[in-house]
Amino acid sequence: MKQNKNLLKALIACAAFVVIIVAMLLVYNQFKPGTVKGAKEVTIQVVIPDEETKEFTLHTDAEYLRQALEEENLIKGTDGDYGLFITEVNGRVAQDTNQEWWCITKEGGQVNTSVDSIAIADDDQYELTLTVGY
Amino acid sequence: MKIRDIAIIGIMSAILVAVQVALGFLPNIELVSLLIIIFTLVFGRKALFIIYVFVAVEGFLYGIGLWWINYLYVWTILFIIVTVFRKQRSPYFWAIISGFYGLVFGALCSIPNLFLSGIGSAVSYWLAGIPFDILHGVGNFVVVLLLFHPLYYIMNRINH
Repeated sequence: MKQNKNLLKALIACAAFVVIIVAMLLVYNQFKPGTVKGAKEVTIQVVIPDEETKEFTLHTDAEYLRQALEEENLIKGTDGDYGLFITEVNGRVAQDTNQEWWCITKEGGQVNTSVDSIAIADDDQYELTLTVGY
Repeated sequence: MKIRDIAIIGIMSAILVAVQVALGFLPNIELVSLLIIIFTLVFGRKALFIIYVFVAVEGFLYGIGLWWINYLYVWTILFIIVTVFRKQRSPYFWAIISGFYGLVFGALCSIPNLFLSGIGSAVSYWLAGIPFDILHGVGNFVVVLLLFHPLYYIMNRINH
């Protein structure tokens, strides 16, 4: 009897686990940014401390930032499970030994995904900032 | 605190760091949650010392960033949850707990964003990480189900 009760509890917990996963997937699909088709103009600022900020205007049909940046040969990086990890912007390599990395922001605001999954729209502005320290 | 306790804290913290670094290349598949569950069940309050030595060493290894602020409380929350259910020894129970913990990990890590940049930033941080939270939850579930019994047995032998 007690064993049946424990089995029932385990089954209910497993079911709740699966339901939460499904709910999270639904929320994610509902709110993930949609892509925009067609021509876009996207501004990219490359910010390196103690150097003058460089601005690039990209004209692209790309739907994601990675493709737009790669079309202009602005970035290089390594592909990982989290997407492209940018190692080089406009020829400037982030020195891993100095804990340097390229931080992506959109009009100064934090961006939480890699360039692979940043959907771009016309008149968007992004900053690629060489940042020191993890 | 006895010398034996200090030695246990040092060795177990080193194990935590080693497994974190060894599996760091896998997105959100980790053994840290499982080990913290077992350390808390076996070593009790000493697990808190193990957690904070681990967090300090991780800070030295990777540098202090926002992620490190998360580490200051996320593992302690797991410690508290395990302490509440400390009489449980079923791997199924701990697999479910660890699975749920993985699912909410991103939400827990978004708390600093709430204070630094507002609720919009925290929610967008959480939303962007949902696929990784799901992977984390499922990974935790499977890892605990497979490894809870053998690791608990080994740690229990070490402690007695």
